[in-house]
Amino acid sequence: MRIPQVTCMRAAAPNMPTLPNLHADSRRNISLWLWVGFSLCAVATVALFFIPAFIIRPFRYQAPRALVLAMSLRQRAPLGALIAALGCVFLAFALWRIVGRRRKGVIATVLVLVIFSAVMARLNYFEWMFHPIAGAQFLAQSGSKLDAKEMIMAIQFGGDARAYPISQMAYHHVLNDVVGGVPIAVTY
Amino acid sequence: MHFYLAGINNQNFLMRDKETGSWWQQITGKAIYGPLQGAALELVLSDELTFGEWRTEFPAGEVLAPVVKYTKEYDPNWEPDVAKLPVVISFPGTELKSRDVVIGLTVDGAARAYPWEAFAKQSPVLDRVSGTPLLLVLGPDGKSFRVFVSRVDGQDAEFFLQANTLQTNPTADVEKKSDATKQWTLIDTTTASQWNFQGCAISGPAQGKCLDRVPALKDYWFDWRNYHPETTIYKR
Repeated sequence: MRIPQVTCMRAAAPNMPTLPNLHADSRRNISLWLWVGFSLCAVATVALFFIPAFIIRPFRYQAPRALVLAMSLRQRAPLGALIAALGCVFLAFALWRIVGRRRKGVIATVLVLVIFSAVMARLNYFEWMFHPIAGAQFLAQSGSKLDAKEMIMAIQFGGDARAYPISQMAYHHVLNDVVGGVPIAVTY
Repeated sequence: MHFYLAGINNQNFLMRDKETGSWWQQITGKAIYGPLQGAALELVLSDELTFGEWRTEFPAGEVLAPVVKYTKEYDPNWEPDVAKLPVVISFPGTELKSRDVVIGLTVDGAARAYPWEAFAKQSPVLDRVSGTPLLLVLGPDGKSFRVFVSRVDGQDAEFFLQANTLQTNPTADVEKKSDATKQWTLIDTTTASQWNFQGCAISGPAQGKCLDRVPALKDYWFDWRNYHPETTIYKR
């Protein structure tokens, strides 16, 4: 992926302002390294978000090794993608001054993807699909509108009994609760 | 610790804890990745009951309130709707279909699955896993279920449902069965005591005694089988 970009850059060189040969060479070298760095940072950022997102997608088979890869990338993604994206932005600034308009277009497009990935790596989009319950409220039985036939999950600690309607838990999936002083995670 | 939804692993979800960021498998309660990998949460005994059954058992109990903002997202037909979702893993060699509902339980490391339909028809089901006598009971409402160790005072016990209240149609309207529901009792063959759905003797020589509970999970076959590859299937 990197090599074609380097080639393009060289092809673009003749359009640049004429400079003494020595300068042109070192300049070419610098811009080559800038492109290599920029590409590496971009690939890293995008991979840190997209690879786990692709592996852990609903209604698809998750192979055990792929899942481990997804979890390990996702574990490192919030910080890793941020650092890589910052590197990208820094290198993009450096490149911006020495490339032509078409290359600027490429840089801008890649940057958009990079920033999107870095932001997504820090957000939990599963909770956009299934919102968590913030500050669960409980009702007395008389206050509940549940039908007698509706299924609930029930627990009891000491004298405290609680019911979690499955229709609600099937959406929220996870609820952190404390019953009779015992912290529990209710899942469906 | 506090958990949040973090992904899906072959239709059994993954959660992470806010404290360490470790990844936990829903069904097993085990951390499968991250700083706490290998750790396991303690399973709490819980029930899957109808609201009606639970209400009579725990009149002072509290119910999780619906979150107003998301009430539109709650699916009153979650059961048939979830059953329609595609499956990504299957076990073609086995005699059950992926979306068959089973009661799954583990005794001393041995797992067994009870196909729901057979269980509901035969309830109460007496069985033995790892030498432990078990009693699986469908509730008076025809939807709730519980599993007990079928042992009274250290002696293996057998139970039957009192004949005049036998539930044969689990889909019948709960309201219409209210009379039968009130009389729902199990009888043990050793002392002829009467037992309620909570597993406690309400009259007879064993009065006041309660059976030990066995944690059991209502699950789809594919999911139970995936996490319990050695599971056996109950046959009459």
